[in-house]
Amino acid sequence: MPITLVNPFDETLHTRGSQASRLSSLEGKTVALLDISKPGGNIFLDRVEALLKERYRVERVIRAMKPTFTKPAPDAVIGKIIEAKADAVIEALAD
Amino acid sequence: MLEIGDQAPAFSLPRLDGRALRLGEGKHHLVVFLEADCPTCRLTIPYLNRLAATLAEHSDAIIGISQDDDRQTAELVEQMQISFPVVMDSDLKISREYDPVAVPTLFLIDARGKIIRTQTAFDKQELNDIARLMCEAFDLTPVDIADPYDGAPSSKPGCMSRHLETLTADDAPEALNLYATRAARASRIELDDAADVYEYLMQYDPLPVVPPTIERVERMLAATSFPADEVIARVPPNYGAATVEKIAANAVMAGCKPEMMSVLVPLMRAACDERFNLHGVQATTHFAAPLVIVNGPVRNRLGFACAGNVMSNIARANSSLGRALQLILTNIGGARPGEIDMSTLGNPGKFSYCIAENEEASPWEPLHVEMGLRRDQSAVTLFAAEPPRGVSEHNARRGETVLRAISRMLATSWTYRFCIGIEAIVLLCPEHVKTLDGDGFTKQSIREWLFHNTGIPKKEYRDDGEGTQYTQFYKEAIIEGEPCYLKFPDPSAIKIVVAGGTAGKFSAVISSWAAGPRGSQMVTYPV
Repeated sequence: MPITLVNPFDETLHTRGSQASRLSSLEGKTVALLDISKPGGNIFLDRVEALLKERYRVERVIRAMKPTFTKPAPDAVIGKIIEAKADAVIEALAD
Repeated sequence: MLEIGDQAPAFSLPRLDGRALRLGEGKHHLVVFLEADCPTCRLTIPYLNRLAATLAEHSDAIIGISQDDDRQTAELVEQMQISFPVVMDSDLKISREYDPVAVPTLFLIDARGKIIRTQTAFDKQELNDIARLMCEAFDLTPVDIADPYDGAPSSKPGCMSRHLETLTADDAPEALNLYATRAARASRIELDDAADVYEYLMQYDPLPVVPPTIERVERMLAATSFPADEVIARVPPNYGAATVEKIAANAVMAGCKPEMMSVLVPLMRAACDERFNLHGVQATTHFAAPLVIVNGPVRNRLGFACAGNVMSNIARANSSLGRALQLILTNIGGARPGEIDMSTLGNPGKFSYCIAENEEASPWEPLHVEMGLRRDQSAVTLFAAEPPRGVSEHNARRGETVLRAISRMLATSWTYRFCIGIEAIVLLCPEHVKTLDGDGFTKQSIREWLFHNTGIPKKEYRDDGEGTQYTQFYKEAIIEGEPCYLKFPDPSAIKIVVAGGTAGKFSAVISSWAAGPRGSQMVTYPV
């Protein structure tokens, strides 16, 4: 006999965002480095910043940092990246 | 929003008993806009109650304006024991005139009806300033109503005021609206004979469940006065709408009795309180799982176990409530193992993690009373918890010896040399409680003893490794002649709960995930 169930799963309609357009080159671009504030993130990002400038001729690197890795980035941190008109963002995720 | 210097619009709004309350002139008033489902409003109300107690016969100078209907307002008043008059602005007419950007918003109005101060959201300093101004207006000695170290954050953003919510019949429902209080009814799923109903229901959580048939879910819904389509919470990290009906369907799956809905509704509000930071708890690689601690009369009414085997398979109430929470977090919140939930080793508590305090075996205040509620109220408390670790101490004759054994386990919380940003629950068994009580210990003196005597010897920090990079932030002390770093920043980081059977001298330490305002804070909600 068929069984009818009340759907117990999430049915909230979520809007889909479109992917940002991809960069063909990093040369002359502004790249934001987002440190999520885990220990060692700055070491990783210092090295990434140096490589971006040396190897990929990135024009400008800006740094932003979340106040805590346990929560999503607050609007002020995202706003700083948007205000700087960054072309790309690299996030330091791990310890 | 009306500003300082504006004339406060007069109003006459109904109280819960139907009598109208008018805002008149001739004395100072504090008008506070509130919503029943706003965690920041619930955080603020106990402080306003404290102000009302200070104002005594002038407590009617505080007027709460609820933006909800009679039922929701009555529930809020009852649960939060609101001791000042509350009126209902169900059609939001007065809300539109005052135009608060968020709730709670406080308007301090002088005797001539002029607004002299406004405060939106929760801020302890502002609350204290407003309390001082109110006391001065009534020739009373000013008091601080908000203690900076009472465990609540110093500030917290509010929720959007109801009159600014955009969901109307004409609004497109596609966009996720975090403030909408109604959501679509759950769809019906018809599975034919060939379908494996368990394959379908266990797709995100692979432990067998009770199929949520329409009849079973209806029985759950009949046990609550909330409408089926009311959104109780938006569950992180996907912010799925936990409607009453979705909660009921998952409660059926977990094996809950219908009366458990009265606990599940406040539990979901607590779980989604920003202070608990469910987003982080669910997505971390750490062991964290939400531990539910039940207090008050609901323990006996619904059969929660608090004695022997309290952490295991002893009572349907504990097992099914903990299981329902986990199912909702996975099925509605979307924290699925291997996807968003990337925990390295996981936690057996992610099947079900629910205990009750053994208040009958305790000579001390139960946890919910320490968290600001009355003893005769029921409550649920959530803590982002590691699995429990046992402490056996069968030979101690003195309370201090028991605590010394516990301090050694506490020292290994998170990892041995890490001494900031963590908390721990000490789950004391009744036999250890007897020894401690016999030596005159209270929960507070236990906390203080453990704080002062739990340390990591400084000689352990000779090489590098986790915890060694933060020593400049650690407190130092000499413990038993040994220079140490104190494990905890403050005695309040140690939570004391009495639980377990009367035989056996086994207590336990349950350590936290990242704790405090930068991580997850313990939250207690009235049932």
